[in-house]
Amino acid sequence: MNSSFTVLLVIIPAAAGLICVPLVNRLRACRVVGVLGFGLNLGLALSLLATCQQSDGGAIVSQMGGWSAPYGISLVFDALSGLMVAAASLVALACLIHAAGSLPDASERRYFHPLVNFMMAGVILSFLTGDLFNLFVAFEIMLMASYGLLVLGRGKAQLAQAYKYVLLNLVASSVFVIAAGMIYGLLGTLNLADMARLTTELAARDALPAGFTSVGVLLLFVFTLKAGVFPLWFWLPDTYPTCPIAITALFGGVLTKVGAYAVARIFPLVFFVETPAGDAGPVLQQIVLIGAVLTMAVGVLGALAFRTLRRSLAMFIIVGVGYALYGVAIGEPGSIGGSVFYMAQSMLVMAAAFLACGLIESHLHGDDLRDGGALQKTHPWLGVLFLIGLLSIAGLPPTSGFYGKFAIIRDALGVGFTWTAIIAIGVGALSILAVLRIWCDTFWGPDPTPAPRDRAARAAALARPPSESGYAAVVLLIVSSLGIGFLPQRVSELASMAGEQVTHPDLYIAAVLGTPPGSPPSAANDQAPRSKNQTRDAAGSALPPAPPGPKPEPTPAFEPMPEPPATPTRPPAPEPTPDPLEPAPPVRPAAPEFHVSRPHAAPTRAASSDSRLSSITRPAREDRP
Amino acid sequence: MTFVLSVCVAVCFGVSVYLLLGTDLKGVAMGVFLLGHAANLSIIAMSGSPVLPHQGALNPTHIKAAPILGDHPPTVALASLADPLPQALILTAIVIGFAVMGFLLTLLIITNRSAGTLVVDHLADEPVTACRADIGADPFPSAGASS
Repeated sequence: MNSSFTVLLVIIPAAAGLICVPLVNRLRACRVVGVLGFGLNLGLALSLLATCQQSDGGAIVSQMGGWSAPYGISLVFDALSGLMVAAASLVALACLIHAAGSLPDASERRYFHPLVNFMMAGVILSFLTGDLFNLFVAFEIMLMASYGLLVLGRGKAQLAQAYKYVLLNLVASSVFVIAAGMIYGLLGTLNLADMARLTTELAARDALPAGFTSVGVLLLFVFTLKAGVFPLWFWLPDTYPTCPIAITALFGGVLTKVGAYAVARIFPLVFFVETPAGDAGPVLQQIVLIGAVLTMAVGVLGALAFRTLRRSLAMFIIVGVGYALYGVAIGEPGSIGGSVFYMAQSMLVMAAAFLACGLIESHLHGDDLRDGGALQKTHPWLGVLFLIGLLSIAGLPPTSGFYGKFAIIRDALGVGFTWTAIIAIGVGALSILAVLRIWCDTFWGPDPTPAPRDRAARAAALARPPSESGYAAVVLLIVSSLGIGFLPQRVSELASMAGEQVTHPDLYIAAVLGTPPGSPPSAANDQAPRSKNQTRDAAGSALPPAPPGPKPEPTPAFEPMPEPPATPTRPPAPEPTPDPLEPAPPVRPAAPEFHVSRPHAAPTRAASSDSRLSSITRPAREDRP
Repeated sequence: MTFVLSVCVAVCFGVSVYLLLGTDLKGVAMGVFLLGHAANLSIIAMSGSPVLPHQGALNPTHIKAAPILGDHPPTVALASLADPLPQALILTAIVIGFAVMGFLLTLLIITNRSAGTLVVDHLADEPVTACRADIGADPFPSAGASS
């Protein structure tokens, strides 16, 4: 498939948002435009993923405007970003369907549809972009639309709590601008692949610029704030639950994963580099590791402590982010593959749980778990859907949540992260306790306590009982996640591919910068065949695959479990900070300055005049001391 | 020149952090805006000196030329042209900051109308509840008054 299809993934939601602006009072038209747009996006993402899996480099790169890589903006569609885009499109589709039945018409008319479409355009652009400043722009598109959605309906609690989200994200945006400026000052480039190439070279010569680690910490602050990682999680359970439930589900499914994705994409690529002195990269890796473990622990304790359904579920978003970053911090191909798998299915499952929570609330007229509820008597099928969602959140085997966690913890034990792995397993056990408590309080509980006065009033005022479209959205997401759970092979192959690509930055660099076969150092090309074999290996061993066949059973998937976790190509590292850049390219002998000229990377367009211009875009590093 | 810019950035940061730590949301908003300006200035400060290398004095002939190739011969020394990328970055950041400023001020006005206060401590008393529309309350109680 032509690589220019990648940009359609961003253009479709943006165009749908624009179309919805004049149609904002014609709800039916808006719904059709939105559902068609996200359906189209989902199909396009899935077919691009299939192309991606068959192609050589495993990545579809398109250079915007024909400007080649380090000068223009690249959009990179590989297994990692592709899985995220597909899952996010599916979640947005389900949330739009649910909103058609649950959101009051008055709220829906207040630019709900344009805002959702614009937000998804920003989300998808931040998944696809290969440029740090473009990532900032994508974040801002996403955030501006999410600010609007956050206060949609203008509830008093909504407005009061919105400030936590808005102000923290505004500060984070400023920090992002500063970090991007610092990186441009230090490295002279903002293209992720070019940054990775430079830091790998500089680290091998032990010549990383001063302040490199500090810039990494600044970026980590920005991304982990969006992801809700440990010290920066506190805004999440206060702001998300106050929104209308379809918006809460969209935020809970998609927005935090954008932060986790940014960490998974940028940090192994650029910052987790091994220097001879061994100081810069491993420090950041330790920070991510500690943050991830604390995030899981805080998340599950919060889920046990909060007494309302929405806030408990919101804490499970935090637990999921903790697991995803834990796999990234371990830095093995298998564990990162597990993280990618976990993130993709967690989007579906968290959104499904929130949407089901909306249906439960409208039956119980409230979300307080202490009030009790015995919905199993009256709504058994809702109970089944919700239980599948909850078990998947907890990561019990037949559901999709299991495979990612299994791969992460297996690799953690394999490379010697014993203590953190024990914590991760303990968090899993507590998660089961917490989800069963939620389920028992809503479905197996006593009959609701005599309704307080205001509750009777609320019940009387309830304009729209739970509708078929709400159930349809939950069924769509739960069935998709069950599909992943019972047939994990396709997704786990893609996730293993993503793990390989993340742990071998040279693949990404070669795909984006387009290293030609005859270029002198050709470190990336030397690596390529070996890594491709590794991909095959990992596809078989990193995640327990389901047996191929027309009617696979879920149980045989566990048979690979007792295998020794070590992969043949990467023996367990003895020290607790594994080197994600083990196959780093050799030191290039002649690289005296940062702006090494790359003859092969000159702009393709109008070479006679533009080659001068492009060599100007990175000129002025000579006057720096 | 870079030193002067650094001092400006430091002052902006200091003032904005002071404002952000206050309890009045109007002040906090001003702190956010100032932080954006500090970030933009810091990009300029980090993007290299505007003075030509080996030329100490700040005099118009010693400032780097605009990075436009029109009149220059193709062999012009690249080091004598200014780097245009930071300015492009800042322009983008300024536009985004402008949109954010509009949103934040609107949010302040709406909050003041609905809650009657902009002091953080009073707003924080509001409990975290599910959206009223989802549990069956009127989503726009004051829609007639405000629109």
